[in-house]
Amino acid sequence: MEIVVCLKPVPDAETRARPLPDGTRFDPEGVKFVLAGYDESAVEQALLLKEAIPGSAVHAISLGARSRTDEVLRAAIALGCDSATAIEASPAAFEDPIAVAAGLRAAIEGLPHDLVLLGKQSGDEEEGLVPGALGELLGLPHFGFVVDLRWDATSQRLRFGRSTEAGEESWEAPLPCVIGLQQAWNDPRTAKLPAILKSRRAPIATVRAPTGPPEGPTSEPARFELPPPRTGAKMIEYRTPAEAATKLVRILSEEAKVFP
Amino acid sequence: MTPSVLVVGEPHGDGLAPVTAEAVGVAHVLAGADGPVAGLVGGAGSASAIRELGQFGVGRVLRIDDPGVEGASPGALARAVAAAASTVGARLVLLGGTTFGRDLAGRVAVAWNAAAVNGATDLRWDGEALLARRPVLGGRATETRRLLGGRYVVSTRPHAFPVPERPPVSPSVEAAPAGPVPPLLLGPKRLGVKAVPSGSGPALADAAIVVSGGRGVRAPENFRLVEELASALGAAVGASRAVTDAGWRPASLQVGQTGRTVAPQLYIAIGISGAIQHLVGMMSSRVIVAINNDPAASIFRVADYGIAGDLFEIVPALTAEVRRVRGT
Ligand SMILES: Cc1cc2nc3c(=O)[nH]c(=O)nc-3n(C[C@H](O)[C@H](O)[C@H](O)COP(=O)(O)OP(=O)(O)OC[C@H]3O[C@@H](n4cnc5c(N)ncnc54)[C@H](O)[C@@H]3O)c2cc1C
Ligand SMILES: Nc1ncnc2c1ncn2[C@@H]1O[C@H](COP(=O)(O)O)[C@@H](O)[C@H]1O
Repeated sequence: MEIVVCLKPVPDAETRARPLPDGTRFDPEGVKFVLAGYDESAVEQALLLKEAIPGSAVHAISLGARSRTDEVLRAAIALGCDSATAIEASPAAFEDPIAVAAGLRAAIEGLPHDLVLLGKQSGDEEEGLVPGALGELLGLPHFGFVVDLRWDATSQRLRFGRSTEAGEESWEAPLPCVIGLQQAWNDPRTAKLPAILKSRRAPIATVRAPTGPPEGPTSEPARFELPPPRTGAKMIEYRTPAEAATKLVRILSEEAKVFP
Repeated sequence: MTPSVLVVGEPHGDGLAPVTAEAVGVAHVLAGADGPVAGLVGGAGSASAIRELGQFGVGRVLRIDDPGVEGASPGALARAVAAAASTVGARLVLLGGTTFGRDLAGRVAVAWNAAAVNGATDLRWDGEALLARRPVLGGRATETRRLLGGRYVVSTRPHAFPVPERPPVSPSVEAAPAGPVPPLLLGPKRLGVKAVPSGSGPALADAAIVVSGGRGVRAPENFRLVEELASALGAAVGASRAVTDAGWRPASLQVGQTGRTVAPQLYIAIGISGAIQHLVGMMSSRVIVAINNDPAASIFRVADYGIAGDLFEIVPALTAEVRRVRGT
């Protein structure tokens, strides 16, 4: 199975977020961009499938500023991905999720692809728009919020679950298919030192993202705000647990107005 | 300017998901005083869904009558939404920001050639552009995006908008346009749905109140204290990774960087220290309460209200007080 895994460079979870002086957007200066949480798990999922199906390969792709994509792609190579492609785009393009999907398509169309895997970014934008947009651009079925992805060799189909508000759905789908993963492994594999060193010299292919029509639909950041700093909890003074409980319930209903 | 808005009804039980009503509320505001708001519903169970849309003042409903579309992959449904949006001459398609809506939005945006944003908590026009605000970076910041190009697809974050109060109407109902669905999109098959058992409380992602427990509960059997408080409040149960890694509760309850992101009206953290990886999953909650016996725990820095004390004493007292006040 030829698997493409899409990796987004995201600010490290420990990053201090601050706006640019003009207040329009996140200031990336000095911020470390990493292969984070869910995308690390997407790589893990891709490698598990590769190990289960003989003759498979995993292709990592990433769109964004070159310094950031290469970091993420080398991490993916060190973990065991077979090839890496960086997608270069104008900064405006990688700020809009639909434009990102168009850039990913440009790279995917140049690669063998039975399965396209994406993650979910809880540390970053949390859009969840990319898997569906990419599916439509490629003309392939897509599923987001997927858990328990497996390959059924007998039926030659993917089997997976989706946990939606309605309940736990189970699905089967033929290839090719685009899958956005919801699941995260708490302990994805870590790269070994020799592999990390070797990945420093691994070749990274380059693809240019298309530019959309100037009047076409798009989105741009207009304002980036930090919430007023949380000043710390108002601590409830009490002598007995019952008193603490009464006070808290009163505050929640009268002051915070969140008590039903 | 009276821009027409199409709201995609999300099926839920016999009717519509609560978030659809919230989306209808925003639709009325954005369409202007008497701008047209239309609804789209699936064929199955549509009678009660149509009635519900009417109760929220939606005057025109399109119904998907092709049974092949429902239960098919999101791709087939996205084509139907795009076709319906063009039929009503919409400038804006609104979906609920649930799994269903968030997953569909990107696909609809490409199929209908629109700009898109997921999980909006505030929406307003800026001339022809649409300004959409939403929490980013796991709730550590909010971003306002400007959507351009004249056609927009937006999903609204659950609980961010009020349910509309409008005079009920009896909507006109017509068949949604049925376009050809490429065979590739009909390949996937839904094998089954295991409905969330009723009485198990609301789903984490959709809950108005979440009560989470951490390593402070010390043993799997004690986690019941957290669950009893949740049940008294009608809340969903969450957990820190310490709890799910230890196998005390399933991984599906984990809140945080490698778990779920939640943004309820009220989040109660019990015996949770407040590691950054946990915080990014719950920081956009409106009100945060922490119960921890270590007054220096970092969770108190992000919480609005704190009780420094032993959870084994405080939580049962709190559950009893909630039951007393609610008369249950
Ligand atoms: C890559 C990565 C991803 C991660 N992802 C997540 C994630 O998604 N979600 C997540 O939660 N964590 C995640 N973690 C783990 C995170 O760093 C913390 O280890 C974890 O959140 C700690 O869980 P905890 O607060 O329950 O336990 P602890 O940190 O052990 O805290 C227990 C708390 O309980 C209090 N306590 C003890 N006894 C009592 C009592 N009797 N009464 C009241 N309070 C008491 C203690 O004072 C303490 O503050 C991740 C870590 C990494 C490295
Ligand atoms: N710039 C990018 N480069 C590569 N993949 C991306 C990029 N942006 C988003 N993705 C993929 O889309 C998923 C969802 O991203 P998001 O829509 O931002 O939550 C990510 O987990 C990635 O798999």
